[in-house]
Amino acid sequence: MGDHGVVKQSVLVVEDDARIRAVMRMSLEEEGYEVREAESGEAALRSFEARLPDIVLVDLMLPDMSGFEVCRSLRQNSGVPIVVVSARADTHDVVAGLEAGADDYVTKPFVAKELAARMRALLRRVGAGDVRESEYRFGDLEIEPDAGVVRRDGTEVALTKTEFRLLCELARHAGSVLSREQLLDRVWGYDYLGDGRLVDAHVRRLRTKIERDPSDPDLIMTIRGLGYRMTKP
Amino acid sequence: MRWSLGLRGRPGAGRGLRFRVMLSFALGGLLLSSGLAAVTYGLADRYLVSQRERNAQRQAFLNARALRDALRSPNASVSETLAALEVPTGSSVVVQRDGKWYGTSVALGRTSVPRVMQKVVSAGTGGHQRVQTSTGPAIVVGVPVPSIQADYFEIVGLSELENTLNVIRDSLLGAAALTTFAAALLGVWAGRRVVAPLRDVSAAASDIAAGEIDRRLETRNDPDLDPLVESFNHMVGALQVRMERDAQFASDVSHELRSPLTTMLTSADLLTARADELPPRLREPVALLSEEVHRFERLVSELLELSRAEAAVEPIELEPVNLGELLLHSLTLTNDQEFVVEIDPDVATTPVLTDKRRVNRILSNLLENARSHGRGIRAVTVSRADGYARFTVEDCGDGVPVEERQQIFERFFRGAAAGRRDDGSGTGLGLALVAEHARLLHGRVWVEDADGGARFVLELPETPA
Repeated sequence: MGDHGVVKQSVLVVEDDARIRAVMRMSLEEEGYEVREAESGEAALRSFEARLPDIVLVDLMLPDMSGFEVCRSLRQNSGVPIVVVSARADTHDVVAGLEAGADDYVTKPFVAKELAARMRALLRRVGAGDVRESEYRFGDLEIEPDAGVVRRDGTEVALTKTEFRLLCELARHAGSVLSREQLLDRVWGYDYLGDGRLVDAHVRRLRTKIERDPSDPDLIMTIRGLGYRMTKP
Repeated sequence: MRWSLGLRGRPGAGRGLRFRVMLSFALGGLLLSSGLAAVTYGLADRYLVSQRERNAQRQAFLNARALRDALRSPNASVSETLAALEVPTGSSVVVQRDGKWYGTSVALGRTSVPRVMQKVVSAGTGGHQRVQTSTGPAIVVGVPVPSIQADYFEIVGLSELENTLNVIRDSLLGAAALTTFAAALLGVWAGRRVVAPLRDVSAAASDIAAGEIDRRLETRNDPDLDPLVESFNHMVGALQVRMERDAQFASDVSHELRSPLTTMLTSADLLTARADELPPRLREPVALLSEEVHRFERLVSELLELSRAEAAVEPIELEPVNLGELLLHSLTLTNDQEFVVEIDPDVATTPVLTDKRRVNRILSNLLENARSHGRGIRAVTVSRADGYARFTVEDCGDGVPVEERQQIFERFFRGAAAGRRDDGSGTGLGLALVAEHARLLHGRVWVEDADGGARFVLELPETPA
């Protein structure tokens, strides 16, 4: 994307296997990122506090704490995009990673190009180019796509970048149903075979932040077998 | 993989347990009731006959005395006296006096009295004997009457008794038949009762085979059945532990292999990306290395995919899928020469409930197979009929010999060189994966002839069980 060359985007690689860390550093540098490494969860949190990265890659198996815990700690005060890099692709690992706050996951062995594509999708500027409105209102929920701000009853709601992009996408098409595939394509940049669980987990998290009653939502509706729909204001 | 214990009366499956229980009950009933009937009949026969004999003797003595009293007066004639005697119907009296024979009945006359008896009686000894006369069985009672130099014989017909016994016999036979029938019915009922728990076991086993590994049998507080229930549950538990351990092993292996593979793959990609900076002599080995690492990665992924599919680790994720769209998507990855694509309009408009990723894996593997073993794709179709969705992939190769059409879906199968070409890029697992995923989706896959080439057909039920 256009950021190349001007200011390098920084990526924090949290991985305990030194060899994998080394090849990830090399291939990410090849893609034009500035790479910082952490070999444990503790080191990752320290590095994160010292300087905020633009994106974090977390291995699930770390010596001191699990990747899930790292995700949760980072999420407490940051919306930075997190990609879980795991050797396990079992359903419960994927779901647990997403519940812990990850934006996406990549399974080992990954192809460097694929990882780079995932990162590019997550680092895309929010709502860039295709947002028509400068503000959306749904009752007492206000969304300002350009400013990257969401308010409920006048109070700002902290959303991650991915949650924000998902909300903007739903808001832009309020009243019509978006399939999981469409959302995967537009928010995560996945082709036809993306993992629908990404969408479901993010919708769940988004609801806990913007709905009055997350178990009985009135803004983001599930349309069974089809996808999701934002209620028209 | 569904199986049952065969309790549902498969045709031609031999004699089942229920049949054997019913048969035992029926045979038991038959033996018992016919034994009882025989004993009852024997007793009745003996009692009735001996009673009759006693009556006959008493009557004979009374009549003989009456005859004697009557014949003491010199004017009395034997014939008249006989006519005055009380002789019940079916009986008759024969008297011998002075070598002359007198009788009350033509049918039961002197000929009915055995000669031996005639001699014994005329020698002065009384007695009785069962005989067969022209009108049926009878008892002959002989009484010597020496005071008037006569021998008195009374022939008592037993036809009436015979009739009574026949009625008794028929009733007993009828009762025995009824008892046998009732026992057979009881046997059917008992058989059902006995088999009911086995049916439960069978149903549970089917459920477990279908993937419901948490299913267990409930104990019935029955000391005869509970050991079966317990050992069944124990077996399923042990199986479950084992399956989980296997799945865990696959998962561990996956982790152990994936980390080094990640390093190798990424390094190879880095080398390939900068191949032009390498000395020319190293470019070929680097290309070979990269190719093999990628193939190795595919092999490991597919092995794991296969073992996970076999262990049914991942749930089947059903969702409405437009099969036409899915087919077109799997074709976007091909860069083959021209080939025919046919999408049934019905397929294009109606989504089918299935697992998109698995169908996609099947299609990509079939397409890959046509590419690397069948000299390229010739035609691809998708259609619907009779509740099934059907994909076909035809290639331009030499087809698959009939004897290899089953084996070809086995892992690492390499056919006799004749028909199948191998460009060295395959892992040998593609078609095994196809078969495994098709099985999980309750579908079928097979290969047939198509104008010289091979046609792989995938049939998926539109309403997966």
